Amino acid sequence: MRDPSTTISLIVLTALSLGACVLALIRLMKPASANTRRYVYSLLGSCTLGCIGLFAYRAVVVHRGWQPLQSHADGLLLIASLFAVAVLFLQSRGGLDGLVTFALPLLTLILAWAVCASAWTFHLFQIDSVWQSVHLAGVYLGTLLFSIAAIAGGMYLFARYRLRHRVSPDPSERLASLETIERLIVAASAVGFSLLTVGLAASLVIVASGPTRLGTGWWYSPKVITAIAVWLIYALVMNARYTTKFRGARAAWLSIIALVLLMATFGIAHMLPSTSDTDTAATPPADTLNAKEAH
Amino acid sequence: MHIMLLSVSHRTAGVALREQLALSEERLTSAINRLRERYPHAEAVVLCTCNRTELYLARPPLESPTLDELQDDLAVCCGVAPETLANVVAKLENQDAVAHLFRVATGLESMVLGEPHVLGQVKRAYEAADKLGGVGAVFHRVFQQAISVAKQVRNTTGIDKGRVSVGSVAVDFARRIFDHFDDKTVVGIGAGELAKPMLQYLKRLQPAKLWLVNRSVDRAGKLVSALQLDPANGGARPFDDLQTLLVEADIVLTSTGAERPIITAADFKPLLRKRRGRPLFVVDIAVPRDVEPAVGDLNNVYLYNIDDLQRVVETTHDRRGEQVQACEAQLAETVAACISQVQQQDIGQLIRSLRRQLHSLGQAEMQRTARKLAACQDSQQLERLLEEHTQRLINKVLHLPLSQLDHSQQDATLGFYAAALRSLFGLEEDDQHESDDVVADNSDDTDHTQPQADEPTRPTIKKSTPPQRRRAIG
Repeated sequence: MRDPSTTISLIVLTALSLGACVLALIRLMKPASANTRRYVYSLLGSCTLGCIGLFAYRAVVVHRGWQPLQSHADGLLLIASLFAVAVLFLQSRGGLDGLVTFALPLLTLILAWAVCASAWTFHLFQIDSVWQSVHLAGVYLGTLLFSIAAIAGGMYLFARYRLRHRVSPDPSERLASLETIERLIVAASAVGFSLLTVGLAASLVIVASGPTRLGTGWWYSPKVITAIAVWLIYALVMNARYTTKFRGARAAWLSIIALVLLMATFGIAHMLPSTSDTDTAATPPADTLNAKEAH
Repeated sequence: MHIMLLSVSHRTAGVALREQLALSEERLTSAINRLRERYPHAEAVVLCTCNRTELYLARPPLESPTLDELQDDLAVCCGVAPETLANVVAKLENQDAVAHLFRVATGLESMVLGEPHVLGQVKRAYEAADKLGGVGAVFHRVFQQAISVAKQVRNTTGIDKGRVSVGSVAVDFARRIFDHFDDKTVVGIGAGELAKPMLQYLKRLQPAKLWLVNRSVDRAGKLVSALQLDPANGGARPFDDLQTLLVEADIVLTSTGAERPIITAADFKPLLRKRRGRPLFVVDIAVPRDVEPAVGDLNNVYLYNIDDLQRVVETTHDRRGEQVQACEAQLAETVAACISQVQQQDIGQLIRSLRRQLHSLGQAEMQRTARKLAACQDSQQLERLLEEHTQRLINKVLHLPLSQLDHSQQDATLGFYAAALRSLFGLEEDDQHESDDVVADNSDDTDHTQPQADEPTRPTIKKSTPPQRRRAIG
C-alpha cells in the first residue's frame, strides 16, 4: 500500500547515501583526512540502519503480515538493506579496501529507484502461491548478489586501469588486490546464480500451472529472453576461473553488463501490460517473471 | 642548562669515517661513562646510526666542557684523531641543538626523507643513556618530546608514507595484483648484481617457488646460495626451461645483459592459453629491456620496467618533499616550547637551590647570634648584636657573588656579571661607583647595597629583559 512516510524516509536515505557517495569519491580521487573516512562510514551506517528500520516498519506496521515483500518498493528496500549490510561486513573484514566507494553509487541508485517505486509507480504484487514467494525471494536476493559482483567488477576495472597506467598508489588509499576482487566477483556471481536459478525454476512452475500475463508466447517475450541472457552470462562469470578467455577484466565487464541486463529485465517486467483495468493502477509483480494474474 | 651537540652525519662525512665513528654497544657505554666521570653535573646521550654519530650533552652554564673540549672527548671515545673530527663535525648549541634532534627524530635529516627507523634509534639511544644514568631532567624532557613530536608529525603529515626503493615499489605492485603468495611462483631471469636485492624483496613475500634462470647455471646457483633459498622451494634452472617456467610463473623478474628482448609478444602469446588466463606480473629491470613492451598489452599481463618503478620512487620523494614545510612548521613551534620548558625548569631548580643555600646561611648566623643573645645584658648591647648579625648575614650572602667581580677576569665576563647584578638588584648607573667600592673591599662590614635613608629616590627594581635572562641562564 502506498505510504507517504515511506517515500519521505526513502528520500532521506537516498540523500544520506548520496552524501556518503560524494565523500567516498573525493577520498578516492585525492588524499583526504581520516575524518572523511569516518564521515563516509557514519553516513553509510546511518543509511543501513535506516533501510533496515524502514523495511521492518513496512512489514510490521504497513503490511501487517508474514510476507514482507508486498511491492517492488519493498523488494528494492530489501536489496538496499542487505546490500549495505554486506558492504559494511565485507569492508570490516579487511582486504577489500575501496569497496565502499564503488558500492555507494549503486546503493544510491537502488534507493532512488525505490523512491520512484514508492511514489510514482507503486503497485502491489499479487502473491497467491508459495511459488511466487520463492520466485520473488530468488530474484531479489539474486539481484543483491549480482549487485555485489557488479561493484566488484567496477572496482576490478578501476584497479586494473591504475596498474596498467602505472599510477603510483596513494599511501593513504589501498584498493584490494585484483586476485581478491576477482574472487569476490566469482563468489558473488556463483551464489547469485544459484538464487536466480531457483527464482527462474519457480517461475517455470508458475507458468506451467496456468495462464499468466506473459500470454501464450511467454517463452519468446523480452522479459524471458533477457532473463535467460542474464542467467547465461552469470553462468559464464561464475566459471571465469576455469576458462581462459573470460578471466580478469572480461569477467568484470560481464558482471556489470549482466546487472544492467537484469535491471532491464525488471524494467521490461514493469512495462508489461496488465490484463485487467484494476491492475492498471496497481500493476502486478513488476519483476516476477511469471507473476500470475489473479484474473 | 646549556645544551650542546656534536654531529657527524652523511652530510658531513664519508662512509669510511662514519664507520670509524660508529660506536658498538660496549664503546657507547664506555663513552657515556667517561663523560659522566669527567662532567658529573652533565647529562649525555650518544646517538649512533649508520648515517650519523651524535653526542648530545647538557651541562650547567659556565661549567666545562666547551664544544672544543667535547669534540676532543668524542675523538677519544671514537678512537679518531681530533683534527680528523674537527673537519667533519657540526657543532650546535641550545635551541639549534634541540631543533636538530627533533629534525633527526622526524626523519628530516635522514638520507631518505622521512625514513621511519631513525625514530626507533633515537628512542633506543635515549633509553641506553638513561640506563647508564646519563639522562637527567633536561634530556628526559627534550628526548621524550622529540620522540612524541616526531610520531605526531609523521602521523599528521605523511612524511614517512610511500615506497622509496625500487624493490619495495615492485613488491607493492605485486601486492596490488595478488592477494597471497604462498601458491605463487617467482621466476628470476638473469643472475647479475641488480637481481639480488630485487629477489631479496620478492623472497620476503614467501612465494611457493622461486626459480632462477640463467645462461650460466653455476652463476645462478651462486645467487641461489646467496639468497639462502630452500632447495624445496626453488633453485637454479637452465635457460632452456624458460618457456616452461613462464607458464608456471606468476611473477617474473628479468635482469639479463642481453642486447635484444628475450621475451617477445610473439613468443609469449601462445603461452597465455597454457597459463589459463592467470595474471602475470613482469618486472624488467634490465637496460636494454629484456621484455618487449608489446607483452604488457596482452590480457592479464602487467609489465613494469625500471623507469616505471623509478618514477614511483621519485613521486614518493616529491610527495615527501612537499610535506617538509608542514613538518618544519610543526617542529618550530614545539622546539620553542620545549626550550622554554627547559629554561623554566632550570630557573625553578636555580631558585630552589638559592633559597636552600641562603636559608642554611641564615640558620648558621641565627644560631651564632642566639648564643650571644643568652649573654646579653642591656638594650645597647642587644642593638649592637642585631646590627652585627645583619651585617654578617649580608656579607656572607654577598661574598661569593661579589668575589666573582674580580678585575683580573676577562672584560666580557666582568661586564656580564656587572650587567647581571645591575639587572637583578635593580641598580641604576649612579650606583656603579658605590658598587665598585664594594668590589674593592667586599669584606667591609658597611652595607653599601642598602639605599640610604636620605637618598632622594629609591632605586627602582626593573624587570630584566629576556635576552639578558637567557644569557644569565646560559
